[in-house]
Amino acid sequence: MIKGQVIRIFPKDANTDEIIAGKYKYDELDTKKLASHTFESIDPTFYEDAKKIKNPIIVADSNFGCGSSREQAPLVIKACQVPCIIAESFARIFYRNGFNIGLPLIECSGVASKVRRGDELEVDFDRGIIRNITKSEEYKFQPIPKFMQDLVDASGLMPYLNAKGGFSEQE
Amino acid sequence: MAEKILSAKTNTDIVAGEIIVTPIDLVFAHDGTMPLAIQQMETLGTRDVFDPNKVMGICDHASPSPSEKISNVHALMREFAWKNKIHFFENGDGICHQIVAEKFAAPWKIIIGGDSHTCTHGALGAFSTGMGSTDVGAIMAYGRTWLKVPESFKIKVVGELKERVYSKDVILHIIGEITAEGATYMSMEFLGDTVDRMSIESRMTMCNMAIEAGGKTGLCIADEKVKSFLEAHGRGNEYKALSPDRDATYKEEITIDASCLEPMIAHSHRVDKVASVAEFEGMEIDQVCIGSCTNGRMEDLRIAAGILKGKEVVKDTRLVIYPASRSILIQAICEGIIETFLRSGASIGAPGCGFCIGRTVALGDGEVALSTQNRNFKGRMGNDKSEIYLCSPATAAASAITGKITDPRSIKG
Repeated sequence: MIKGQVIRIFPKDANTDEIIAGKYKYDELDTKKLASHTFESIDPTFYEDAKKIKNPIIVADSNFGCGSSREQAPLVIKACQVPCIIAESFARIFYRNGFNIGLPLIECSGVASKVRRGDELEVDFDRGIIRNITKSEEYKFQPIPKFMQDLVDASGLMPYLNAKGGFSEQE
Repeated sequence: MAEKILSAKTNTDIVAGEIIVTPIDLVFAHDGTMPLAIQQMETLGTRDVFDPNKVMGICDHASPSPSEKISNVHALMREFAWKNKIHFFENGDGICHQIVAEKFAAPWKIIIGGDSHTCTHGALGAFSTGMGSTDVGAIMAYGRTWLKVPESFKIKVVGELKERVYSKDVILHIIGEITAEGATYMSMEFLGDTVDRMSIESRMTMCNMAIEAGGKTGLCIADEKVKSFLEAHGRGNEYKALSPDRDATYKEEITIDASCLEPMIAHSHRVDKVASVAEFEGMEIDQVCIGSCTNGRMEDLRIAAGILKGKEVVKDTRLVIYPASRSILIQAICEGIIETFLRSGASIGAPGCGFCIGRTVALGDGEVALSTQNRNFKGRMGNDKSEIYLCSPATAAASAITGKITDPRSIKG
């Protein structure tokens, strides 16, 4: 269960260059330092605004995170203390990367048009329900596949593999 | 075809939608993704790779290194490569995808790269897809990864292409039609007589851009052309035919009549904002770029040189050309193509990603670039106050001569 506040609603196809520009990612391996450039080209106040909110939840239209394979994209978002992203849909590499680093990503149809910036949300992963406390609404989402939930529970792929000692034959 | 490859590799009859664990034939990463993969691998308590012969590292994205920080990143990679005795390619050797195509990719292989354009190798019948650094780090340690088996999108391209219309124009048209999320999570399978007639290089251009429609991979059949390509690179023994089953199931299907296509442009800042060159004809440009993993191969350089031979790049427009690999640069020198470029006024960069990600060549404020690369996102070429337009090498070369977006058929040569 995560409780937080909607910090932004991004339009469809928010891409990895917008999340973290390529010009920064080669120079800096420290994600916390890199995080100050999160969404810089399209939303220069995002980083500072995120600091002011406890559990800032990102909501987005479809195909969030399209573009490059850079893992720095979900990493900088996580470093901004974002607890989860709720979108109509995600680009597939970003989707993998999110779970691999322990950032849960939720696909919820219609979410981008239903919530507003500032809404208080409560995400119930087990039941697949988002409660919009501000608007007294509930939205259903497909619960995360078990393997992905295991990754979230383990805080990412590497802790998961460490606990299991590698990949089993069939997940 | 994706299901066939994954079934063969795992010795099970798998179907789309399943999550499977599969062995990997090659995993690679570059200077943008490998340092983080090494860091992630260390969290597993190891710096030893599962099989040095199946792991490759390369410095191509910021190469030759433009800064001390990047030089330090390269040094970290070099040390890791040396200790693990993995395949390692240096500044100037070329772009990861070109090197992989020349030296490693083959039909039925499963290739994972720490780069979204890893889908390129479907042109050789490999199941190849991009992943992030954590996935790459896990594969480097264990030699396996988990995959959700993708559904397939059949893209049938039929008919003769018009003069100076190429595979780049075809793929731009396809992405414009199906949008940037049209093939999300799917294997885009490029079939039809037009694709059959295409060279491997042209097919690579198509598969390279599958990710721009959200595709997990692009795939073409493995035929005699793949066999010849592998033989030319001393790997003929790695050839094994691949084609879709007669009763293959597809989630989506489209047919493209290639004979109707014109030279195409994707305008900033989206790859699926596609129009014919005619609609942008005459628009002024500051820099023309030829190269990248999309269009930096011999075929592309020959087309560009054919148009530029005996002509000059117009004043106030720059032409930068980055061959995709060292072997391509050498071949281009032997054929006199590099001399043609230099005499036309172009600058030639060391084989690598160069302009495409703006690390070694960046645009100025308000500048407009016309490039043969695959992506035109805001800020992609190092400056979020610039604009990027995508096109074929022919359109790029013709436009360099005029300084304006130009239909390549209007230039003789």
